[in-house]
Amino acid sequence: MPGRLHPLLTFLFAGLILLFTGGPVLLSLYGSLVPDRILFDSSRSLLTEGPNFETYRYVFTGQLPDSYLQESANRAMISDAARQVPQALVNSTVNALAAMVLNLLLGAPAAFIFARYVFPGKKISFLYLILSPLVPAVALVTPIYMMMQWLGLIGTPFGIILVHTARALPFTILILSVFFRRIPAEIFEAAVLDHCSRFQLFWRVAVPLSLPSIGATGLFAFMLSYSEFMFGMLLSGDAETRPVSVVMAALARNTDVSWSLLNTGIFIAIVPTLVLVVIVWRFVVEGLLSGAVKG
Amino acid sequence: MWTINRYPGTWLIPALLPVVLMTVYPIGHALWTSLHEVMLLFPGEPFVGLKNYERVITNNYFLDALRNSLVLTLMAAPVVVTLGTLVALFLQRRFFGSQIVRSVVLLPWVLPGAISAVLWVWVFHPSFGILNGTLRELGLGQFAVDWLTSPRTALFSVGVAHIWTQIPFAVVLLMAALANINSETLEAAAVDCRSPFKRFAYVIFPEIKAMIVVLLVYNALMAFTTYDLVYAMTGGGPGTATTLLSFQIWRESFSMYDFGAGSAVAFIVVVISAAFIVAITKALPSDLFASD
Repeated sequence: MPGRLHPLLTFLFAGLILLFTGGPVLLSLYGSLVPDRILFDSSRSLLTEGPNFETYRYVFTGQLPDSYLQESANRAMISDAARQVPQALVNSTVNALAAMVLNLLLGAPAAFIFARYVFPGKKISFLYLILSPLVPAVALVTPIYMMMQWLGLIGTPFGIILVHTARALPFTILILSVFFRRIPAEIFEAAVLDHCSRFQLFWRVAVPLSLPSIGATGLFAFMLSYSEFMFGMLLSGDAETRPVSVVMAALARNTDVSWSLLNTGIFIAIVPTLVLVVIVWRFVVEGLLSGAVKG
Repeated sequence: MWTINRYPGTWLIPALLPVVLMTVYPIGHALWTSLHEVMLLFPGEPFVGLKNYERVITNNYFLDALRNSLVLTLMAAPVVVTLGTLVALFLQRRFFGSQIVRSVVLLPWVLPGAISAVLWVWVFHPSFGILNGTLRELGLGQFAVDWLTSPRTALFSVGVAHIWTQIPFAVVLLMAALANINSETLEAAAVDCRSPFKRFAYVIFPEIKAMIVVLLVYNALMAFTTYDLVYAMTGGGPGTATTLLSFQIWRESFSMYDFGAGSAVAFIVVVISAAFIVAITKALPSDLFASD
C-alpha cells in the first residue's frame, strides 16, 4: 500500500482496534478462568489464584466444579445447558455450512446475470430481492412456523437451513453482483471472442477471478446463519438439534447460572468458529492482496 | 452489458425460489393479520381495516419508540460504515502483528446476539463493569454512571454494543472491495496525488462506493430491525428510553399476544426502512441499481 504511517501511530491504532473488538471477549475469557467468588472479590484476581479450568472440565466431562460442591454453594448456578454447548456447536456449524454452500450455489449465478446482462424482468426481480428483507423477521415468525409445520420440517435441520438461506440470499446476490461488476469488461469480451458460452463466462472467468470475494460473501452467509437466534429457536426441536445461539441464550437468560460457567460456554463456542472464520478470512485477504485480479 | 431477450430463468429461478417461498405467504399473512383483530385470548378474527395502525400510532409509546429507532439507525449505520472503512484501510497495511489484528477484528461476528448482549452488560455494569472500574482507576469516577439504567445513556450504550456487533462484516466487505481496486490505478494515484485524503476522496472512494452503499443499506436495515440486543440488555427500559419500534413488534405480538398490532408496527417499520433505502441510494448514486 502506498503511504506510510508513523510506527507509534500504527501501534496506537492497532491497540485501539484490539481493545474495542477484542476487549469484551477478553473479559469473558478472564471470567471463565476464575470462579465467581474471586471474580466479585476485589482483593483476589487471576494473578493471585491462578487459572481454574474446572468449568471447562464440567462442560466436557460432567464432573462438577469443586467450588460448587462446598456447603454454601448454590446448586442452581450449574446448568445442564452448558453441557449442550459442544453438540450445539456441531449443529450450528452444519447448518451454517449448508446455508453458505446453498447461498453461493444459488446466489452466484443470479448475481452474475444481474451484474452483466440486461433482460426483461430484470428490474422487478432485483427490486423484489432488495425489498424482501425489509419486513422484520419478528413479524414473519408465526406464518413461517405454520409453513414449516405444514412441510413437516420442524425439529429437523432442513427447516432452519431453508430459512437462513432465504434470509441471506438477497444480500449474497447484492454483494456478489457488486464484485462481478468490478471485473473489467475486456476480459469477458475476450472470452466471448473465444466462443465461450454464458455458463463458461460465469464458471471459467467470473468465478475464478472473484474467488476471494466469493469467500468473503460465503463468510457472510455462514455468520448470518450461525448467529441467528429466533428461527433457530422456533424450528429446532430437542437438545439434539438445537443450534448454539439458542443454547447460549438459554444460559445467558438464566440469571442463576454462574458467571464463570456462562463465560466458559461462551468461550468454547467462540474458539472453533473463530478458527474456521480466520482460515477462510486469511485465504480471502491473502488472495485479494496478492492481486488475483490484474486488470 | 449484454442483452438477453428472454428471462434467464435457469439462472435466476433457483435463487428466487427460496426467497419467494419465505416471503410471499409470510408477508401476505402478516399483512392480513395487520388488518384484522388477531388476539390469542379472543376467538374470531374480525376485519378491522386500519384500526390496528391507528391504535398503534396513537399509543403513547409510539413516538418514543420511533424516535429511539431513528436515533439508533442514524447513529449506527454511518458510524459502522465509517469505522469499517477506517479499519479496513488501516488493516491493508502490513505491520508487526497485523495478522493478529485482522483476526481479532472478526471476533464480534462469531458471537450470537444474545451473547454479545451479555458481554456488553458486563462492560456497562454500574458496580462490576469494566468501564466504570477503569474510569474510577483513572480518577474519573465522576463520569462513572449507571450506563444501562439511566435514561440518558441507555440508548447510547445499546448503540455502542450494536455497532460492535456489526463492525466485522463492514470490515470484511470493505477490505474485499479495497483489494479489488486495480493496483495500477493506485500506483498512478500515488504518483499524481500526494495527499492521502485527496487520494481517498478522488481515487479510492469512487471505487468502493457501491460497496459502501450496500453496507449503508444493510446497516440501516439491521439497526432499524434489531431487537435482540435491546431485549437482552435493557428490555426496552428504563421507561421507554431504549424501546425500539422493532422491539415493540415483538412485545405486541409475543408479550401482549396482540398479533394485529404487532404486524401493524411491522409494516410501519417496512415503510420507514424503504424510505431509508431510497434516501441512501439517492444520496449516493452508484451504478448498483442502474437498469442499463
